[in-house]
Amino acid sequence: MQTFVSAGAPDKGSANINSHPETQVPPELSVWLVRVADARDKQAFTRLFQFFAPKIKRFGIKQLGNEAQAHELVQETMSNVWRKAHLYDGDKGAATTWVYTVMRNAAFDMLRRVKAKAEMNLGDDIWPIEQVQSEEALPEFADHLMEKQMLAYVDSLPEAQRAVVKGVYYQELSQEQLAQQFGVPIGTIKSRLRLALAKLKQQMGDQQHD
Amino acid sequence: MINHHPTSDVLAQFVAGNLPASVSVLVSSHVELCAECARSVQRLTQQAAIDAFGELADETAGDELLVTDMTSELAGEFEFELEDFDECIAAITAEEADDKRQLPQTVTEIAVGGERIALPTALRSIPLKEWQGMGKLSRSRLALDDGDLRMSLLHIDKGGSVPCHTHKGFEITLLLQGSFTDEMGEYRKGDFIWLDGQHTHQPVTEEGCVCLTVSSDAIHFTQGMSQLLNPIGRFIY
Repeated sequence: MQTFVSAGAPDKGSANINSHPETQVPPELSVWLVRVADARDKQAFTRLFQFFAPKIKRFGIKQLGNEAQAHELVQETMSNVWRKAHLYDGDKGAATTWVYTVMRNAAFDMLRRVKAKAEMNLGDDIWPIEQVQSEEALPEFADHLMEKQMLAYVDSLPEAQRAVVKGVYYQELSQEQLAQQFGVPIGTIKSRLRLALAKLKQQMGDQQHD
Repeated sequence: MINHHPTSDVLAQFVAGNLPASVSVLVSSHVELCAECARSVQRLTQQAAIDAFGELADETAGDELLVTDMTSELAGEFEFELEDFDECIAAITAEEADDKRQLPQTVTEIAVGGERIALPTALRSIPLKEWQGMGKLSRSRLALDDGDLRMSLLHIDKGGSVPCHTHKGFEITLLLQGSFTDEMGEYRKGDFIWLDGQHTHQPVTEEGCVCLTVSSDAIHFTQGMSQLLNPIGRFIY
């Protein structure tokens, strides 16, 4: 028996990997998240669920203290992932970081409901999950309101146009860089930008007449 | 230039979601104004996500291995039944996506002392109560249930001051507009100042200021006539 144990020793390495699956994350997470946002892809969501659910449950048990609440956290978090995936921006960071934010916010609000009997959800106000908003344009508080309104307009643009507007105005990429990034001719970038700006102008004009 | 920031420990607790709601709102409001702390929070969040979910595997690692890891984890230490999974997934995917178009929030600015001031994003769901004034001080309590902690917007008009006082518990101030000075220094927009019972101070403002404050207890006036104000110390913060 003893020889069997020592003979089994080389297996220990793989056993270790299995007991620490948290050190490895499938590289497709971000792709799945985008597929959920763009195509409401249930297959991709199932993959996300299978990866995240057990880990969210573990976090929930630690943070909320019991299994029933941990289950609720899994549902709440994954439901938010399904409904808000379009707020995730792959260029701004890892999928895991975004899902962590969604999960922590849900746990925070759940804890407040239990402890303070507070119904108001604050998590997403305290830690914004709209990645387009939590970007660098921080110091200019004065333009903040304007900025927010602009972002709301930009977010209402069709996906392709929105990506170009954000690339040019928020990430300050050149049209050449964007053409490369999206793998389309520069003319396409130019026409998307022109369409997007026309639409924005129209929307802001509408607003002023109100 | 912002000179006073939350400590790195406070930022880490903030990211973990362990701070009381009002303190979290205050830290979030500072982070919104402070690019430096925004970067720290981003870093800490990345780390917290790695702790919770793991790190991106080396791109060259076989995907198959990872998939087996996941299923064994599912079937193993966690008592999630696979049918529960399916049921849960089916229920969630039956839901609609949230409306992509985020409407601009309603309460994003306030007018104080003839000036318009943008409110931090973190305050957008929290109602403000009626403004109450006393001399050059006015205060609006925020309707946020948070145990013993009270959160307020405080406006001190040009040339105003708060008489020398100490704090029985702690008091955190975030300067949203204007500036003030006390015995310990000068504070400007964005500064995050955490004081406790060890500190005694007398804030004075030349140009006027608007602050967001969280305090755990009434303030206590320490000098001369102002001690008569102690019964209303509760009013100010």
